[in-house]
Amino acid sequence: MVELLKDQFWFSALMTVGIVVALLTAQAYSIYFERKISAWIQDRIGPNRVGPLGLLQPLADGGKFLLKEDIIPANVDKPLFLLAPMIAFGVAMIGFAVLPWGGNVDLDADGAVDVAAQVADPGIGLLYILGIGSLSVYGVVLGGWANNNKYAFFAAMRSTAQMLSYEIPMGMAIVVVVITAGTLRLEDIVLSQIGDGHVWNIVLHPFAFFILLVTLFAETNRTPFDLAEAEQELVGGYHTEYGALKFGMFFLGEYAHMITGSGFIVVLFLGGWHLPGVPGLQPGDVSVGAMLLKITVMAGKIAAFMFLFMWVRWTLPRFRFDQLMRLSWQGLLPISMALAGYATVLVYLGKSTSIPWALGGNIVLLALTLVISQLRQTPVTGRQTNMPAISLTSPAKAR
Amino acid sequence: MNTEWSFMVYATFALGAAAVYFLLPHTGRSTKTAGHVLGVAALAATMVLCASKFLGTEGANIFFYLSAVVAVGSAVKVITHEKPVYSALYFVLTVLAITPLLILQEAEFLAVALVIIYAGAILVTYVFVIMLSQQGGQPMHDRQSREPFLAVFGGFVTMAAIAGQMAALPEEKGIVGDFAVAAATTAINDRGVDNTSLVGTAMMTEYVVAFEVAGVLLLIAMVGAIAMSKKRVPAETALTPMPVPGKVGREVEPF
Amino acid sequence: MIDDQDIIIVDEPELTATERLYLPQIIDGMRTTLRHMFKKTITLQYPEQKREQRIENYRGVHRLNRDEEGRVACVACFMCQTACPAHCIHIVGTESPWDDREKYPLQFDIDELRCIYCGMCEEACPVDAIELTPEYDLVGRTRDEMILDKEKLLEVFDRTVALKPRKNPKISGYAGTGDRDGCQSAGGGQ
Repeated sequence: MVELLKDQFWFSALMTVGIVVALLTAQAYSIYFERKISAWIQDRIGPNRVGPLGLLQPLADGGKFLLKEDIIPANVDKPLFLLAPMIAFGVAMIGFAVLPWGGNVDLDADGAVDVAAQVADPGIGLLYILGIGSLSVYGVVLGGWANNNKYAFFAAMRSTAQMLSYEIPMGMAIVVVVITAGTLRLEDIVLSQIGDGHVWNIVLHPFAFFILLVTLFAETNRTPFDLAEAEQELVGGYHTEYGALKFGMFFLGEYAHMITGSGFIVVLFLGGWHLPGVPGLQPGDVSVGAMLLKITVMAGKIAAFMFLFMWVRWTLPRFRFDQLMRLSWQGLLPISMALAGYATVLVYLGKSTSIPWALGGNIVLLALTLVISQLRQTPVTGRQTNMPAISLTSPAKAR
Repeated sequence: MNTEWSFMVYATFALGAAAVYFLLPHTGRSTKTAGHVLGVAALAATMVLCASKFLGTEGANIFFYLSAVVAVGSAVKVITHEKPVYSALYFVLTVLAITPLLILQEAEFLAVALVIIYAGAILVTYVFVIMLSQQGGQPMHDRQSREPFLAVFGGFVTMAAIAGQMAALPEEKGIVGDFAVAAATTAINDRGVDNTSLVGTAMMTEYVVAFEVAGVLLLIAMVGAIAMSKKRVPAETALTPMPVPGKVGREVEPF
Repeated sequence: MIDDQDIIIVDEPELTATERLYLPQIIDGMRTTLRHMFKKTITLQYPEQKREQRIENYRGVHRLNRDEEGRVACVACFMCQTACPAHCIHIVGTESPWDDREKYPLQFDIDELRCIYCGMCEEACPVDAIELTPEYDLVGRTRDEMILDKEKLLEVFDRTVALKPRKNPKISGYAGTGDRDGCQSAGGGQ
């Protein structure tokens, strides 16, 4: 058995099975925790009836999705109607193939590294995730178009524009990491944040980290960027006409997308499976136990980001569409481009891992942004310009 | 031997041309079934040809055949499907099916860049625009192809000429399959120096001028697009300010 | 069409530099929600725990009151049926077998699914025969089950009378509401 697993192919096959099983469970339980966290934030208890603490709730939900009537409305474009949830779910699932989970592993403890705890380790792992992420828009677009519903179509339009807009600052924020690490291989990006004189990228480029975080919220269609499924305006958005398991696939796909995004940002900015100073989590630790520990740490970091996603969802209201576009094109894009440019300068000066240089630049950039935004004073409310202004004193201001 | 090869290649291309001709949207009796049968025959013939030529070489990978068949089939669908949305989606499928071919050639960067830029950005806007513009029924030009014979003839003669010449190349120079072998052996697969880094290095050293020129070209295109699409509103027809409303509504303090 | 006069144009607030970043506000909001996560929940575990019932003014399932002799107190005057905005009360009145009033309800049906629990029937009733009880957990498997007839409404009274005693139990003689003499005198008076 161990002999077989020493072959990377069979080890990857085992990891694939493990990750898919873990992922499906994690998605189901993300929904459970989403409900729990929303309840806690609203001083409620949340699901607690099915099983102890409501822990069997995901099973009950899954059973409900499976057993509900599978309706295909009249006048839908049937092939695309069926294809859309598959794309949404499938695309969200295959992003996990390149996430580095536990570094190198020595399975038989003979001192030689046998396999890498990663399904696949292509030289373009980072671009692979970007490519897969850019395909996920098709699930939304086709879902919105195929079901022949105006609300859903509006959602598809919004979502397409949003995803295309936010992909650019996202790419720019990633470029910062790529330039700093000098590689596109995810495992190497993790390794580049470890060791003497190297720190996690979040310390070097907190601004880029923040931009990536914001764009991830937008790419996963989460609040405050969930215009594609704005219940108050668009009923359910692109999945208005979907029911039963097809809706379930959209639903699970959203959480899978969130988990991939979290894993992505953990690898890029938070050192992946690494914790500084903790034995067993260093690149030299290659035992099976160390691998399991690394996987646990990685999963814990991902879980922390999932919590952040949910926390933000139940805190912030939704952006209006013009605010959304303005934030991306006038806010995030110039800042992220400046950051990418600054990262190249750092590499040219040979200071790419120097904390004062990188962090100082970030702070200067933040100050610059503040000054420029103060000087420009463009309206943020998107009021029609041909309306004359009337000064009104609201009670809040008068006080 | 090589001339015979060329003729067999030409024959399969003729078969393919007939298939595409029958598959193109016509008025009158549907010839779809015949087109599909011919198309499968043409694909099978091409596969047999390829297999007999490259069996045992690196190019004869099962993934090559799978993705090649999908790519060719969906490419035919792009031009023969009556609904533009499906055409655009088959285009996406074509792009996705080509990426394994590129990865087989160890050109992962090109493969993923193709997915990100073509499938992820350009074709999304295609699908988007088509969805926006196709609200009514299908217009005539979608249900009936214009000059199907000339189009098919021209396209396939060009393709057959290229393919025939490639098949007629001397064995040792090799064609597709051997290129793959060559690429695979020359690629340095040490960690750190992979094809992606080599592409990057080449782009920033040897081809830096071309790279920059391409960038400037795109910039000019973008500026031009903005300049053309920007609506110029004459001063007098510009939005006139609205009349100043009375105190506020019915003399009621807001809020 | 909205009249121009009715349009209120609100000046947009000038944002400070930090407000333009959105961040301080976002962090503020997230602090608030985080604080709430550790607050005591106010949820009641419903079937096990129940809220303290409001007896006097709660508007739950209806009941038909009984008088001291255990008879239905209703005099079939149709006031509640007339007052009902949801048209959920259906009364079939007939001659009363008792001497103290002229009519009594042969049939008295309330469709609890149509009812909007507004309490107008209670207001309208001249003899305080119909009342809303604090009982709120009325369930049924069919629509027919949810149409309460006279017997069921009297059962509700038996169930809830201990909890909520009849408001004006001392009604005797039903004067002016249709007892045989009173009815005649009232009629004569007109």
